[in-house]
Amino acid sequence: MAKLVPRPELTFWERIYFVEIFKGLATTFGHARRTLTNPAASITLMYPEVQPDIPRDYRARHRLMKRPDASPRCVACYMCSTACPARCINIVAEESPDHHIEKRPAKFEIDLLLCVFCGFCVEACPCDAIRMDTKQAILAGDNRADFVVDKAKLMDWDPKDYPDTDVQSQKAPGGKLHAQALEEFKSGTYH
Amino acid sequence: MEFNDIVLMAIKLGLVLIPFMLVPLLILMERRGAAFIQDRPGPNRAAIPIFGLRLRGFGLVHNLTDGIKLFFKESFVPPFAYKPFYLIAPAIPVMTAVLTPSLIPWFAPISYAAANGVVTVAPSFFDANAGILALFALGSLSVYGVVLGSWASNSKFALLGGLRASAMMISYEVSMGLGALGLFLVVGSFSLTSIVEWQANHVWGIVVQPIGFLLFLVSMFAECNRNPFDVAEGESELVAGFHTEYSSVKFALFMMGEYCHIVVASALIATLFLGGYHLPWLDTVAIKTHLGGVLAGVLAVTALLFLAIAHLVHGRRKQYATLAASDRAARSKEYGFFRALFVLAGLACLGGAVASWLLVKPQALDLWHEGAKVYPLRWSLLTAALQIGIVLAKTLFFCWLFVWVRWTLPRMRYDQIMSLGWKVLLNIALVNLLVTAVIAKAVQS
Repeated sequence: MAKLVPRPELTFWERIYFVEIFKGLATTFGHARRTLTNPAASITLMYPEVQPDIPRDYRARHRLMKRPDASPRCVACYMCSTACPARCINIVAEESPDHHIEKRPAKFEIDLLLCVFCGFCVEACPCDAIRMDTKQAILAGDNRADFVVDKAKLMDWDPKDYPDTDVQSQKAPGGKLHAQALEEFKSGTYH
Repeated sequence: MEFNDIVLMAIKLGLVLIPFMLVPLLILMERRGAAFIQDRPGPNRAAIPIFGLRLRGFGLVHNLTDGIKLFFKESFVPPFAYKPFYLIAPAIPVMTAVLTPSLIPWFAPISYAAANGVVTVAPSFFDANAGILALFALGSLSVYGVVLGSWASNSKFALLGGLRASAMMISYEVSMGLGALGLFLVVGSFSLTSIVEWQANHVWGIVVQPIGFLLFLVSMFAECNRNPFDVAEGESELVAGFHTEYSSVKFALFMMGEYCHIVVASALIATLFLGGYHLPWLDTVAIKTHLGGVLAGVLAVTALLFLAIAHLVHGRRKQYATLAASDRAARSKEYGFFRALFVLAGLACLGGAVASWLLVKPQALDLWHEGAKVYPLRWSLLTAALQIGIVLAKTLFFCWLFVWVRWTLPRMRYDQIMSLGWKVLLNIALVNLLVTAVIAKAVQS
């Protein structure tokens, strides 16, 4: 059944419309004056001079986590590419020289043009090897090939860009925990 | 022809081009005004890199880039259009935009001593006794551009836009004419110069004919195809209305014609109802006798304006300096440059004000013409320049009103426009005219 919305009763001055025009003009002029004299009142971000503040949990471009020896932590189990609804992850596995690890990715490519940034790969990974916390939300390139990121690009990140409390990132070469472990190793206190 | 005559003719010819010169300013006003009303900063990205600065010029560079783009685009003619009319149509609004300002008095008539006695220079390029009638006639021609263009486009959207435009123009032309007619009854002349002179001698038209002023204003919005009466374009219904099939420089001409029409309409409202070049207590004689003081006052106001702009620029610079994660250097440099520019301009104006207060002391010649002393030509020209400034200030206020109203009121439905025009405005105009006629007759006898 259709819902009947009663029309608001207009007063005489509202029906004459003319006074209301001036009220509207006053409102718009107030906005114009405010934005002119106080640019902070406008919520527009002055991109690219001012960059947006990306929250910590924003699902941005992926990165591959590293072991302390700078090799990828990925074991090429294909869990992420299986979970991927967009089928944008292309992995080629090879035998790892370390027999404790068994497999490692020879190739790990993500086509960012196919990716829907759902984060299922991060959820699926059994060893926390893939994350989406780079905060690189704005991706730009000249051709399609630029958007296919390979293993080297995915592992090209700096532990300095991640908080000191991020244990996994800090264990990678260049990280605080990594440096601390190296010190301990040199002094023989490492266990 | 004397040298002075040629110079004055050239100046008046230049004044005819005022609407064209104001178009970039108007586009800027429209874009930034719209943005500020909607709490946005507006278009401010296009920049000219020069001397290591990226000068954005408050968004004026966008106009430049738009112009370059439109002029270098392919001049495409749809295969289904009727080519002769299609190509002529965009020129018509521009033509009327050049012709109509030649009728508007931009300054008071100048009298100066020539070899063969005192010569009086008319304030407009084409000073006709039937000035306002000629202006109405020429102004109404601009709708031909719209109608012809829409018809020749051979497209249904364009044709609908043209139909609406023509119907609306005809409806509102009536109340526009009747709204202004009251004023002519009071003044007793169709000459724009004598209308302004009457207002200078008595009171402004808005005081004698407040209802006529409102009628005229509303009708002018309809005449210019502006919100809330812009159904001829009606983006939400008709794609782009009458100029749907137009692109490149032909579209630019339509746009330019529209903005010129706004300037001319604003100047006309200012002339008819706000005293034109006249300000209260500042008629031509008063300006001439206290030229130094008046010039100093105007320059001081200009200086304050420049300093206010410098203050705004300073505020924006400070805002960038405090923003985290921002590229401060380039912007700070640019804002610093503009701040320095406007502070210098403001100081120059202040200096000019002091100088004119001390130095400008015009001496009248020992000649009388039509009950007023004749001044040397240079002082008369300075007075005329001040009066042009007054007209332009009033014109710009009404231009801003056009923009302001556009971003305040929603577009009216087509039938609402028609009923407002025929059932409300026309009746008010007729009653206003009747009452004015009776009172005018009673006062006369």
